[in-house]
Amino acid sequence: MHVLASFEWSVIWDSQGALWGGFKHTMKAGVVGIVLAYLVGLVLGALRAHRIPILNQLAASYVELIRNTPILVQIFFLYYGLPVLGIHLDVFTVAWLSITIWGGAFMTENFRAGFEAVPQRLSEAGYALGFTRLQEFLYVTLPIGGRIALPSTINSAISVIKNTSLLLLIGYPELTYVANNIQSNTFRTFEMFTALAVYYLAIVWTLSALIRFLERRLALPEAF
Amino acid sequence: MNAQAAAPEAEPVVRAEDVRKSFGENVVLDGIDLSVSMGETLVVIGPSGSGKSTLLRCINLLEPIDSGRIWLEGEEITAKGVKVAQIRQRIGIVFQQFNLFPHLKAIDNVTLAARRVRHMSRREADARALELLSRVGLQEKAKQHPHQLSGGQQQRVAIARALMMEPRVVLFDEVTSALDPELVGEVLVVLRDLAETGMTMVVVTHEMQFAREVGDRLLFMDDGRIVEEGIPSDVLDRPKQERTKRFLRRSLQMAHSLEELSITDQGEVE
Ligand SMILES: Nc1ncnc2c1ncn2[C@@H]1O[C@H](COP(=O)(O)OP(=O)(O)OP(=O)(O)O)[C@@H](O)[C@H]1O
Ligand SMILES: [Mg+2]
Repeated sequence: MHVLASFEWSVIWDSQGALWGGFKHTMKAGVVGIVLAYLVGLVLGALRAHRIPILNQLAASYVELIRNTPILVQIFFLYYGLPVLGIHLDVFTVAWLSITIWGGAFMTENFRAGFEAVPQRLSEAGYALGFTRLQEFLYVTLPIGGRIALPSTINSAISVIKNTSLLLLIGYPELTYVANNIQSNTFRTFEMFTALAVYYLAIVWTLSALIRFLERRLALPEAF
Repeated sequence: MNAQAAAPEAEPVVRAEDVRKSFGENVVLDGIDLSVSMGETLVVIGPSGSGKSTLLRCINLLEPIDSGRIWLEGEEITAKGVKVAQIRQRIGIVFQQFNLFPHLKAIDNVTLAARRVRHMSRREADARALELLSRVGLQEKAKQHPHQLSGGQQQRVAIARALMMEPRVVLFDEVTSALDPELVGEVLVVLRDLAETGMTMVVVTHEMQFAREVGDRLLFMDDGRIVEEGIPSDVLDRPKQERTKRFLRRSLQMAHSLEELSITDQGEVE
């Protein structure tokens, strides 16, 4: 109880500017990462679902590799490993790139599953109307499979956002990095991490509300 | 039977010659020859597994054939290098399961291909689709999604969707088999009206009364072959082949036993 009694609101108040700056960095890497992860997932998910030779196997290997290694190892590989090969990426590039690569693997599987769940008879209805393979994908498989995949993709997007906190380990000034710095200077650990949790909860709850909104707007009937 | 049916020597809309198709060891089409003239309603009957659906799917190039040839309005569509998607625009098909796009309203189901493939403007496509929907009695359902419609209504939307592409021939694959009995009539009426406007149609069905009244010609298929063909009433009343007789006797028996089961007792069972 004495912790709550001694809760120092002024620490949070004084750090608002710094935390807001951290929030903006989190969102910058997070939004770029999520948008690109969706693109990677859509394209690779389509290649996987349509079993496009070679590209399908390459995409499958990428997914296997990413899903079976810790994200921190991937971040370190990009930040500390690539310079050994002569490739130097700045910290922001590594920030969005690493979560794009990580999120893209999960998005690929989300979209693959969604596209594969589209009943064959609906694709055939498209072909029967004279659609080419590309048109069938764009106007039948994508809208229907995309809706099926939607909830799982937003869950992956939430994971991407939460994982941006690992970027503190390469010195990217996102929320966790900022809060951690402040608490080590002020020793107001409890206050800082409470404020941090509130930020993350706000982000995740906003995304969750978005899921429910989209699900209501776009939901397909149970049986089709 | 159909006034608009063209003279027999005119170019058939669909012609097939010695079409063969197997799935693995299973020979499903065993040398099919057929021709459908302009404006004709060709009815196809036959036992389950005889290859009726496969025949329609091959005509529509949804299923590649192993050998033989198929022509649409004199153009060989089984030749190498044909533009399959373009051919399919000229052949409509309506499926047993309706297969409407669940994310689109009825009217958008009808207009999708016209807008995306034909690049028709939305305004023009909507106007045309409303015309077609009213033709199948569904103008006021245009804004509904498929799951808000009954099976019979969904099937009528599917028919409108096929007609939207102005096909030269429409293939119907047991379009009433998935429907509750009380909804079969509304779909058959649409088919009958379509036949009367001179549409060229191939209709796979189990509805013998429909075959008799609307069909210009009837094929009986068994085991991947056309066993017998002729004027529907001739084949149905005086089948020549033993296999046709057996099939018709069995479907009649079925009809009778179902009649006996029905709760409204109409008295005399023929
Ligand atoms: N894609 C497929 N792969 C393997 N076998 C198939 C395939 N499609 C059809 N068949 C087989 O081909 C045969 C003919 O099937 P088809 O669906 O053409 O018959 P049908 O006359 O339409 O029967 P029904 O009246 O039950 O609809 C069946 O033995 C079926 O199992
Ligand atoms: Mg069939």
